[in-house]
Amino acid sequence: MSRDTLRIGLLFSATGSYAALGAAMRAGAELAIDEVNADPSAPVRLDPVPVDPGGVTAAYADGALALLRDHGVTHVFGCYTSSSRKEVLPVFEKHDGLLWYPSHYEGFETSDNVIYTGAAPNQHIVPLARHLLARHGNRGWFVGSNYVWAWENNRILREALMEAGGAVMGERYFPVGETDLGALAAQIVRDRPDFVFTTLIGESGYQFFRLLREAAERAGLDQPRDLPVASCSLSEVELPFIGAAAEGHLSSSVYFSTIDSPQNARFAERWNARFGYLGQACADAEATYIAVHMLVGAVARAGATGLAAVREAVRGLRFDAPQGPVEIDPDNLHCQMRPRIGRSTAAGTFEIIFEEAQPVRPDPYLVWVNAPQAGRGEARRPDHLRLVT
Amino acid sequence: MKRAITSNFRGLHALVVHGDDMNRETLVSVLGRLGLSVTVLLPDAVPPVGAPACDLLLFDADEDIAGPCPAQDWPDVPVIALIGSEAPSRLARVVGHRCDSHILKPIRTTGVFTAILLAVNGHQRRRRHEREMENLRQRLSGRREVTRAVLHLMSTGGIDEEAAYEALRQEAMNRRVAIEEVARGILGAGSAAAPPPPRPGLSRKA
Repeated sequence: MSRDTLRIGLLFSATGSYAALGAAMRAGAELAIDEVNADPSAPVRLDPVPVDPGGVTAAYADGALALLRDHGVTHVFGCYTSSSRKEVLPVFEKHDGLLWYPSHYEGFETSDNVIYTGAAPNQHIVPLARHLLARHGNRGWFVGSNYVWAWENNRILREALMEAGGAVMGERYFPVGETDLGALAAQIVRDRPDFVFTTLIGESGYQFFRLLREAAERAGLDQPRDLPVASCSLSEVELPFIGAAAEGHLSSSVYFSTIDSPQNARFAERWNARFGYLGQACADAEATYIAVHMLVGAVARAGATGLAAVREAVRGLRFDAPQGPVEIDPDNLHCQMRPRIGRSTAAGTFEIIFEEAQPVRPDPYLVWVNAPQAGRGEARRPDHLRLVT
Repeated sequence: MKRAITSNFRGLHALVVHGDDMNRETLVSVLGRLGLSVTVLLPDAVPPVGAPACDLLLFDADEDIAGPCPAQDWPDVPVIALIGSEAPSRLARVVGHRCDSHILKPIRTTGVFTAILLAVNGHQRRRRHEREMENLRQRLSGRREVTRAVLHLMSTGGIDEEAAYEALRQEAMNRRVAIEEVARGILGAGSAAAPPPPRPGLSRKA
């Protein structure tokens, strides 16, 4: 018996300055596509059309347009940076497409044309801020790639430090891809903050880790201990690119390849067999894997593949993911996920040093953070509407 | 000193004056996501005497709600216009209702947060300016009395203008009141009681 084929778009940059992540995300999609296509009970067969914008923000809109208009695709999995997502949003709105955005991001968005399967800010930067304040101190040095991911995370962390009576000792931004960071590393070593928070992405980030390690060693410091670096994006597939300086950095993420569960063991085994050359499986790859399975789950639920039917069917949909159970929030179409903090190891993995007791509801506008009635995991949502007629 | 902006609207009560359609549905659902509680009201259901109490008012600029409830009767809260028609006659009421920001229809989820943020922060700034203006207005109206009090002290005490003003200022500082108030006291007492002695630190109750 033959199933209908559903053509889907994959809009990832497997080339360019953040190629490691783009390649891993596309791999996560392909892994899920293979599983779906091998499953006779799945409602559809998936036929992926990959487009590679090469990490060039402006090329994303063209790629999205080609997928939605020329290939007649409705569902596209793609984008890593927020600037690329903002670039394609008007195209999805105009052509009635649904973007499955599988990356952690800074929040403050709930588009009707996007399903968000990566972590929201209350699931990455907020737990990291708590951890840094509790374990490392309140004087931070912020360094980032010059776009909204860095600006917004830094704002959130800055406010947390200020509230705790701390200080931001320095804050610098660089163009995506910048690697001339020697003077910056030297300055940070001179300033000796309690921790460094980096939102540098791709090559810039890898070079920064190497240069900071060198500068710290020249000053006789044990960098991971004396000058710890924390991030909300550092992932397994990036560690091999950092080389010898890859060990000992903190990352806040809802997924690490070292999560100990049968689901993750199965996922890791398939990943290693097919994509082991990319490094260990990482959060953005897992989020992409989740997104593909969520689409298929929604199609099964709706009995249709159109935008409106799928968007309705996806509300409250659950998936037993490698990270644990994940549920799409019916209200804001982000995912309920479990925040974790890991420390990178020489083996290219993360040792998990903190784990939230249960999945946390997504709060993209940080409405419920610090709310008195909200438990840490369970944001309170009152029945907010009163009708006067 | 840079003021931190308000970006969390949890617990605010929004009044949405708009007909029951997709625009209102989208708006109400986003307001809920942002942690606001919402009361909806049809434009023709706005009571003639004052809109119901709220922290934030969002009204349909395409409807004539100023008829039953004139703008001056609205609560002094941030006001957001929901605009469909950009015809100047419609937009005139947006100006008339001193809107702090607006949302264009068709309403999408994108843009609502920005409109609320601009309205709330703009309204706060406007309130601050109004307080400052009221302060200045009071001081300005008191200037004439200060001048008259200075002239009074000069003529009754035989001192020069500088000494007269200094006497007023000193008294205001001692009593921790505005100089205008001291001036008013002197002028009020001036004709009935004996003029206060022209020396610094005059302590007589005016």
